[in-house]
Amino acid sequence: MSRLPIGVASIIWSLVAFGFAVQFFLEKAYIALGVEILIVIAIAVLSRSAGGRTFLNRMKLPVLAIVSAFIVGGIVLILSDLEFYTKFGLDPIGTLASSLGRVAEAYGALIVGALGDPGKISTALASGNANKIGIALRPISETFLATTPLILAGLGVAVAFRSGVFNIGAEGQLKIGAMFAVWVGIWVPLPGPFHVLLALAAGILGGALWGFIPGILKARTGAHEVITTIMLNAIAQQVMLALLLSPVLQPPGGTTPISMPIEASAQLPLLLDLPKLRVHLGLVIALLAAAWTSWLMFRTTKGFEFRAAGLNPRAAGYAGMHAGRTIVLAMVVSGGLAGLAGASEVLGTTHYLSPTISPGYGWDAISLALLGGTRPGGVVVAALLFGALRAGGPGMALATGVPIDLLAFISALVIMFVAAPRLVREIYRVKLTATAPSTPRPQETPT
Amino acid sequence: MRLRLNGITKQFPGVLANDHVSIEVDRGEILALLGENGAGKTTLMNILSGLYRPDAGEIVVDDTPRSFRDPAEAIAAGIGMVHQHFMLVPIFDVTDSVTLGSEVTRGPLGVIDRPAARARIVELSETYGLDVDPDAMIEDLPVGVRQRVEILKALYRHSDILVLDEPSAVLTPQETDELFVIIRSLAKAGTAIIFISHKLNEVLEIADRITVLRLGKVVGTVIPAETTQAALAEMMVGRQVQLTVERKDAARGPVVLTVDKLQVRDDRGEITVKHLDLEVHAGEIVAVAGVQGNGQTEFVEALTGLRAIDAGTVSVDGKAIPGDPRGIADLGVAHIPEDRLRDGLVRGFTVAENYVLDAYHREPYSSGIRFHRDAVASAATKAVADFDIRTPSISTDVGSLSGGNQQKVIVAREFGREVKLVIASQPTRGLDVGSIEYIHRRIVEQRDAGVAILIVSTELDEVLALGDRVAVMYDGEIVGILPAAEATREKVGLLMGGVR
Amino acid sequence: MRSSSRLLALGASAAIIFAACGGGASTAPTTAPTEGASTAPTETPVESMAPFKACLVTDTGGLGDKGFNDNALKGLKDALAAGYATEIKNLESKKDADYASNIDLLVTDGCQQITTVGFNMGDITATKAGENTDIAFSIVDYAYDPAIANVTGIVFATEQAGMLAGYLAAGVSATGKIGTYGGLPIPPVTDFMDGLYAGIKYYNQEKGTNVSLLGWTPGVGGAAGTGVFAPADNPWGNTDFGNNQAKAFFQEGADIVLPVAGGTGIGTFTAAKQAQGEGKKVYAIGVDTDQYLTAPGFESVILTSIQKIIDKAVADAIKLAHDGGLGGTNYVGTLENGGVGLAPFHDLSNLVSADLSSGLDALKAKIIDGSVKVADYKS
Repeated sequence: MSRLPIGVASIIWSLVAFGFAVQFFLEKAYIALGVEILIVIAIAVLSRSAGGRTFLNRMKLPVLAIVSAFIVGGIVLILSDLEFYTKFGLDPIGTLASSLGRVAEAYGALIVGALGDPGKISTALASGNANKIGIALRPISETFLATTPLILAGLGVAVAFRSGVFNIGAEGQLKIGAMFAVWVGIWVPLPGPFHVLLALAAGILGGALWGFIPGILKARTGAHEVITTIMLNAIAQQVMLALLLSPVLQPPGGTTPISMPIEASAQLPLLLDLPKLRVHLGLVIALLAAAWTSWLMFRTTKGFEFRAAGLNPRAAGYAGMHAGRTIVLAMVVSGGLAGLAGASEVLGTTHYLSPTISPGYGWDAISLALLGGTRPGGVVVAALLFGALRAGGPGMALATGVPIDLLAFISALVIMFVAAPRLVREIYRVKLTATAPSTPRPQETPT
Repeated sequence: MRLRLNGITKQFPGVLANDHVSIEVDRGEILALLGENGAGKTTLMNILSGLYRPDAGEIVVDDTPRSFRDPAEAIAAGIGMVHQHFMLVPIFDVTDSVTLGSEVTRGPLGVIDRPAARARIVELSETYGLDVDPDAMIEDLPVGVRQRVEILKALYRHSDILVLDEPSAVLTPQETDELFVIIRSLAKAGTAIIFISHKLNEVLEIADRITVLRLGKVVGTVIPAETTQAALAEMMVGRQVQLTVERKDAARGPVVLTVDKLQVRDDRGEITVKHLDLEVHAGEIVAVAGVQGNGQTEFVEALTGLRAIDAGTVSVDGKAIPGDPRGIADLGVAHIPEDRLRDGLVRGFTVAENYVLDAYHREPYSSGIRFHRDAVASAATKAVADFDIRTPSISTDVGSLSGGNQQKVIVAREFGREVKLVIASQPTRGLDVGSIEYIHRRIVEQRDAGVAILIVSTELDEVLALGDRVAVMYDGEIVGILPAAEATREKVGLLMGGVR
Repeated sequence: MRSSSRLLALGASAAIIFAACGGGASTAPTTAPTEGASTAPTETPVESMAPFKACLVTDTGGLGDKGFNDNALKGLKDALAAGYATEIKNLESKKDADYASNIDLLVTDGCQQITTVGFNMGDITATKAGENTDIAFSIVDYAYDPAIANVTGIVFATEQAGMLAGYLAAGVSATGKIGTYGGLPIPPVTDFMDGLYAGIKYYNQEKGTNVSLLGWTPGVGGAAGTGVFAPADNPWGNTDFGNNQAKAFFQEGADIVLPVAGGTGIGTFTAAKQAQGEGKKVYAIGVDTDQYLTAPGFESVILTSIQKIIDKAVADAIKLAHDGGLGGTNYVGTLENGGVGLAPFHDLSNLVSADLSSGLDALKAKIIDGSVKVADYKS
C-alpha cells in the first residue's frame, strides 16, 4: 500500500549514508553505496510478496536488537576511554569526532577480521598463490569455524526449548560428546572414513546420554531439568578433568590435563586444502543437522509431539501423547546435537581435548536458540553472527587495540534487546511480530 | 447526555472490530451492550477506557468531545471500568486495594492517610449497599465480593460512568441477583451504567435500553418491554436461533459405558469420587448435574485415562478401559474437555494441527515417521467446512479464534471419527448463543446416530435441555437419576444441594 | 510495513558506514596510540633502528591474571623500552581453538618473535614453530625435550625458591604448623609444594624442631604426592575455596598458608586479613610474582612470595631473537641465574630475625652450589 514512501525513505537513507562515507573515508565510499543499493533493492523485492513481508517482519526485532547493541557497545567504548574525559573539556567536538572515528575503526576492523578484505581476496585470487589465497580467505574461514559448534549446540537447545524442556546443560553435553569422540579418535583402530564416522557417532551418543539423564529424571521423578542440567554441567567438567589426568586420555608420562592427539583417520577433513584455512567438514555437518532438525520438528510425527508438548503439555496429554517419553526423547536429541558440537570441535578443530575446549558454547547456545526464535534457520543465522563476532575479535584487537571483551558485551546486549522486545518497540516506535513461539496474541477476531 | 460515542471505528489487521459504532447513556440509566464474542464489545470498551485510540469517531462527555491518550485521562473524565478479570493484589486488604494508585496523603512527606481512606470506603459501601469489610484481605474474599471491591475502586475515584464487562460470568445465580440490586441502587443515585453481556435473560432483567452489536456494527437499540429473548437472539446472531434444542425421543440401545463402584482420589490424595455407579446406553444422553467441586473433574479424568482409578471398574462395551488416553480413544471414545485452551487445544498450533492433535500418528496423516502436512491440510479444510469453523485459514493460530470456533475445532476433531461414546465436560462454557445452539445440535445428532453420550455440566439449563436422563452428583456420588420428564428444576436443584 | 523498511534501511546504513570506515582503517595505519595496559597498540620509539616486532599470545586465563600473562606482557614492554623490540602486539585467547588462529594472525601481521604462555599451548607452539622456521618463538612455563631450533622454552625451578620459603615459614611460624594447597595436581603446581616441604624439613633437621606441613605430602620414588587441591572446574579463580581452605588451616593451628592456585589465593589472603582483624597472627606466602605489589590491600598478610621472574626471561628471549638467535635451548630459571627467588619481606621484615635471615642466605648458597638438593628432602 505504500511502495513509494519505502523507496523514497530508503533512497534518502542511502544518500545520508553515502554522504557520511564520502566525508570520512573517501576511497571506500563506492562499496558503501553499492551495498546500500543492494539492501534497498532486497527490501523492496521482499516487501512485494506476502512471504517476504512476513520474513521482514520477523527480522525486524533481531536486526534492531543487533543495531542497538552495536550502538550501545560504541557508546561504552567511547566512555571507557579515559582520554575522552580529559580531552572532552578542551575540545568537545574534536574529541567526539575522534572517538566516533575510533568506534568506526573498531567495527570496521571487526568486519574485516570476520569476513576478510575484498581487495586482498581479489588480489590473492588473481595471483593464484595458494599461500596468499589462504591468508586472504582466513578471516571468513575462521568465522565459519567458530560458527560450526555454535550452530550444533544452538540447535540442541532450540529443540529442547520447542519441546518445553529448558535444557541449559548443552555445555556439559558438549564436553561429554567431545570426550567420547576423542576417546574413539585415540583408541579405536579403524581405517579412514569409518574411524571419523564412529567418532562422530560416539560424540552424539555421549551428548545424548548426558541429555537422557536429566530427561529420565524429569519424566520419572519430576526433578526440574534446570537444576539437573546445571549439576550435570559441573559433573561433566569433573569427569572430563579426571579422565584427562588419567591414562584413559592422557599421554604416557604426561603431567597436564591435555589428551593425546587423535589419529589422523579420525580427523574431520578440511573443506579447502589451502594454508591457514581451518574450516572443516563440521560446517557441512552442522548445516545438514539444521536441515535435519527442521525436518524432525516440522515434518515428522515425533516433531509434532515435541512441539505440542512444548506449547501445551496438558493438551498433549489429553490428546494421548506420552509426556514422559516426549521429554526424554527431546532431551536425547538435544543432548545429541550438543554432543555433536563437541565432537566436531575436537575432531575438526583442535584434534585433542583439554578443559578449555569450550569458551562457553553451551551458554551461547541458549542465547542463540532465543535469538533464532527456536527455528533451525534462525539458529544458523544467529550462530553466524556470533561466530563472526568471535572470529573477528582478534583482528579488531590487533588492528585497533580494542579489547575483544567488548564483543562479549555486545553479544550480551543483543540477547538483552531480543529478550526485551518492548524496549526495542519503545525506542524505535515499531510494531513487532513475535519471534518466540508462545507469545500471546490479540484476543479478538471476528466470529 | 452524560456520554455519547459517535461513529467509533477501529481497524485491526484483517478485522474491522468497530464499524461506525454509536451509543449513548445518560445519568441514572442502565445501558446493556449485547453481542456475541467477537462482536466488538470489548474493543469498544478499551477505546472508552483509553487503552486504544479509535481510527475515526469521537467520544463526547457532557457534550464536550474528548480524546483519551491513556486510562488515567479516562478515569479523570469519570469513567470507571470493572473488568471480567479482576485487577486486584491478593495479599492487599480492601482499603489498600481500593486506594492503590490514588492514595490520599497528608503532610509534607506524603504519608498515606489510611483512616480517611477507610472512612470513605465505609461510607461508599453503606450508601450503595455494597457490604464490603474494608479490612478484609482480598485473597480471603469470594469472587462476588471481589467484584464489589472493583466497583468500590471505581466509585472511590469519583466515577459516575461505570462500565461492567460480563460481570455475571464469574458469579453464581445468587451472587448475580445481589449484583443487580447494587447496580440498580447505583443507577438510582445518578450513575450512568454500561452493562456488557451476551446473556439474554440478564440484559432483559437489568437494562433500561439494550444496544445490540454484531460484527462490529450496531444492529439496533431496543427497550426490554418491547422485545423478547428470541428477537434479541436473532438480532445478535443475524438469523433465527433455536433457543431450545428440538429433538426426538431417545432410541435407547444396549449399554455402552458401565461405571461400577468407581473410586478416585484427587491430587492431594483425598477420595473425591466414591462408589460411583452409572450406565450410559447407546442413543441416549445422560447429563450429570452438580455444583462445581463435587468430584466431576476427577470423575471425567478417570473415565478418559488422565487420572488413575483407585478402585472399581469402568468398561466400554463390556471391556475394561485401558489406563491411557490414547488407548481409551482407540475404543471409540470422544472427549470434550472442560477447559478448551488448557486441555483441549494447543495455542500456538494452527487450526489444522489442532484438528489432528489426537490422530496425527495415524494414516493418512502419518506413515510411521513422516508427518504428512498435505493430508492434514485437506482433512482440516474439509472439517472447517463441515463444522462451520469461522477462521481466516486452516493455518491460523487456534488461539486467535473466538471461543465458539475453538470449541468447534474440538468437536470437529472428536466427532470427525467413528465414535460410540462421547464424554463432554462443560461443552458450552463461556460460549455465545449461536455457538451453544450449534454444539448442542451436534451432540443431539450424535445421539440420534446411536452414540452414547455423557455430559457433565454445572449449568442447570444445559443439563435440563439435553439430558434424556439427568444424574446428579453430590460429594463424589450420584445421588439420584431422573428421566427427562421428571427432571424439573426444583427436583434437580434439591439433589444438587445434597437433599435426597 | 513502511516504518519497518525504513528502519531496516537505517540499520543497513549504519552497518555500511562502519564497513566503509573499516575498509579505510585497514589500509591506513593506526595513528592514535591508546593508553591502557590491557592491549598494546603500535608504539614506535623515537630513534630509528631496524624494526623488530615482538608479539604475545595469552592463554585462556587472559590478561589481568597478575601472573603468567601479565608478566609475559611486562617482558614485552621491557624489551620495547630497552630497544630490543620496536613494536609489540598481543592477542588474548578464549578457547583452545584460538591458539592456532592467534599465532597465525600474528605471523600474518609480521611478528618476528612470538611468545606463548602455558602448557596448554605447548603442542601448538611446536607445530607453528615448525611451520614458521624463520620466526623465533618462546613459551612460558613449558620446555621441549629435545629443544626445538627456533623455540626458547622458559621453565622455572620453583622448588628451589619454594625450599627457601619453607625454611622461612618454619622459622617464622609460632604454632609450628604451615598449610598449603594447590590449584591442580600438576607438576608446575606441586613443585612449589615439594620445595615448601623440603624447606621445612631442612629447618627441622638444622634446628631440631618439629614444624609440620598441612595439605601436601610429596610422592616418593616417582609416585604422585597427596594433598589439598581446589575444585577442578575452577582451580585458578575460586576465591571461596581459597577463603574456606585457609580458615580450615587456621582452625587446625597453622599460622602461615601457601596457596599455589592463581587467583584462588586471593581468597586465602582475604581470610588471613580477616583473622588478623580478630587478633590472630597469621600470614600467607604469594606465588609467581611479588604479590605484595600485585595484590594491593594485602600488604599486612604477605610474608614473601615465591617469584618466577617471567618478565626478565621473556625479555631475554626477545633480546636473543633481536640479536639474530632463534632459540634451540630451554631456559631454566634458578636461584643461581636469578630466574626464581623470594620476594622482599616488605612490611613484615621484623618477623625475620637476623639468625633466620643468615640461615636463609646459607641455604640459598648451598642450593646454588649443589650441596643441598630439594629432591633429597622430599621424604
